[in-house]
Amino acid sequence: MLEINNLEVVYNKVILVLRGISLTIEDGQIVAFLGSNGAGKTTLLRAITGLLDIHNGDVTKGTGSYDGKPLFGPDPDAIVRRGISHVMERRRIFADLTVEENLRSGAFTRRDAGIKDDLEAQYERFPVLGERRNRTAGYLSGGEQQMLAVARAMMARPKMLLMDEPTLGLAPRLVEEVAQVIKDLNAEGIGVLLVEQNASVALQIADHGYILETGKVVHDGPAEQLREDEDVKEFYLGVGGDGRRNYREVKHYRRRKRWLS
Amino acid sequence: MQTFLQLLFSGLALGSIYALVALGFVVIYRSSQVFNFAHGEFVMLGAFLMISLVRGGVWWIVALLITMVVTGAVGMGVERSVLRPMIGRPVFVTVIVTIFVGALMRVAINLIWGGTERGMPTPWDNTGVMEILGARVLFNSVAAIVATAVVLIGFYLLFQRSRIGVGMRATASDQEVALGLGIPVGRVFGFSWFLAGSLAALAGVFLGMFPRIVDGNIWLIALVAFPAVLIGGLESPLGAVIGGFALGVVQLLAQGYVNPLLGTFGNNFHQVFPYVVMIGFLMFKPYGLFGTHEVERV
Ligand SMILES: Nc1ncnc2c1ncn2[C@@H]1O[C@H](COP(=O)(O)OP(=O)(O)OP(=O)(O)O)[C@@H](O)[C@H]1O
Ligand SMILES: [Mg+2]
Repeated sequence: MLEINNLEVVYNKVILVLRGISLTIEDGQIVAFLGSNGAGKTTLLRAITGLLDIHNGDVTKGTGSYDGKPLFGPDPDAIVRRGISHVMERRRIFADLTVEENLRSGAFTRRDAGIKDDLEAQYERFPVLGERRNRTAGYLSGGEQQMLAVARAMMARPKMLLMDEPTLGLAPRLVEEVAQVIKDLNAEGIGVLLVEQNASVALQIADHGYILETGKVVHDGPAEQLREDEDVKEFYLGVGGDGRRNYREVKHYRRRKRWLS
Repeated sequence: MQTFLQLLFSGLALGSIYALVALGFVVIYRSSQVFNFAHGEFVMLGAFLMISLVRGGVWWIVALLITMVVTGAVGMGVERSVLRPMIGRPVFVTVIVTIFVGALMRVAINLIWGGTERGMPTPWDNTGVMEILGARVLFNSVAAIVATAVVLIGFYLLFQRSRIGVGMRATASDQEVALGLGIPVGRVFGFSWFLAGSLAALAGVFLGMFPRIVDGNIWLIALVAFPAVLIGGLESPLGAVIGGFALGVVQLLAQGYVNPLLGTFGNNFHQVFPYVVMIGFLMFKPYGLFGTHEVERV
C-alpha cells in the first residue's frame, strides 16, 4: 500500500506546486490522477520516485510510506529496488540504444539470473519489440516507443507502476491498446498509478480516481462514481461542457446556484 | 614506398597515443558534459608514476597496471570531490574548474617528482627496431600500437556489451530517465573518470617512449590531441579513436613530405598542421565525423 499525507512540494525553493496532497493506493489497484496542464501530476510522481532533486525541487511538508516504509528519500534506485517503477511522460526511450539495450537498462538494479527470461517475457507480451530487438529504438513508431517504455519499466520487476500520460499523442486505436496493456498488467497483480489527461479512458480502467487542480486534490472517489459525476462529466469528459475554466469553478458555481434556489 | 610505410607506422604509433587521450576526453564529456581541461595532467601523472614504479623495482607490466589503476582512481577522486558538486552548473564554470584542477595537479606532480627530464624505462631495447614490410619500425611503436589495440577492443566490449557500458550509454542518452530506472548516475560519472584516467595514464607511458624523455611539459599532449576529438565529434568514442589515428598519420606524413618543401619555415609545420586540418574539416562537418547522430524519428 502506498500512502501520502499532506504532501507539499516546492521548486527552486519558492514555487509551491503541490499544496497538501493526500492519497492512498491499495495493492493491485489502478488509481487515476486527472488534472489539466500544470496541475502538478508529474511533480507528484517525481516526489514518489526521488526525481525532484535534479529539478531543484524539495518535499517541504508531508509524509509518505510504501509497504510501511517511508518515502521521499534521496535515492531513486532505492525506490526502484523497493518495487516502484516510473514510466515517464513522453516515453523517453533511449533513442540511440537498441530495443534490447533499453530493456537491459531497465534491469540495472537487478543482478539475478532471471533477466534473460524477463527479456523474453517482454518480447512475448510485445511481439513488435521482439521483432525489432536489435533496432535502434529512436526509429520505432510512437506507439512502439510507448510499449518499449512500459516494457523497460517492467524489467525492474515492479509491484507498482507510475505511468505519466501513457496515451499522450497516440492514435485512438493505440490508446485502446495501451489501456488494454495496463489492464493486463493489473490483472497480473501490478498496482498502477495512472496520470492522465484522457479522463474517459483513465476512468474506464481505474478503480479509483483523484482530481487534481493547481496542486490540490479537489475531488476523489470510485471511478464509476466519477464517471457519472455531472461536474466531472462536464469538465473532464467533455460532455455538455459550456467552456468553463476549471472544475472548482464549476463546483463553486453550482453551489451558489443551489444556495440561490 | 619504404619512407611512406615508415612514416605510416610512426604515424599510427603517435596516433594510438592521440586516440587514447581523445577517447578519455570523449568518455568524460559524453557521460557528464564536462570538458576536462585537466586531461593532459592525467597523462603526465601516469608517465611519472610509471617511471618511479619501474625504477623502484616493480615488474614492468605490473607497474603499468598499477599506474593505470592509480591514475584512474585519482580521476575518480577529482570527479567525486570537485565536479560532482558542480552538476547542473554552466559548462563554462566546469571548464574553469578543470583548468584549475589541472594547474594544481601540475604543481603537485612537480613537487613530488621535480620537473626534470627522465627516461621511460621499457622491458625491450628502447632503440630496437624490427622490419615490417620492408620498413624499419621501432619496438616502441609496435608496442604502442598493439597495447592500444588491445585496450580499445576491451573498451569496445565494455562499452557495448557490459552492464555498466549500457548504464553509461543510457546515462549519456537521458540522465533523468537513467536515474529514474535506478542507474546510479553518480557512480557512472565516477567510473567514466576512472576509465579516462587510466586511458590517459597508458597514453602517458607510451608518450614517454617517443622522445624517450618525460618532462614537465608532457601534459601539453592534451592540446595536441584536441583536434582528434573535434574531428571525431565530441560525443563519439569511435570518432575519437579514428580522429586520433588519422591525426597521428597526417601529422607524420606532413612532417615527412610537407615540411621539407617549406624550407626553414617548415621545420615545425607538422605541429600546426593538425589544427589546419581540423579547421578545414570543421568547415565542412561542423559536428565532426560522428557528431549530431541524434536519432529521431521524423
Ligand atoms: N523543474 C521545474 N522548475 C520549476 N517549476 C516547475 C518545474 N517542473 C514543473 N514546474 C511547475 O510546476 C507546476 C506543475 O508541473 P507538473 O509538470 O507537475 O504538471 P503536470 O500536471 O504534470 O502538467 P502536464 O499535464 O502539462 O504534464 C507547473 O506550474 C510547472 O510550471
Ligand atoms: Mg506532466
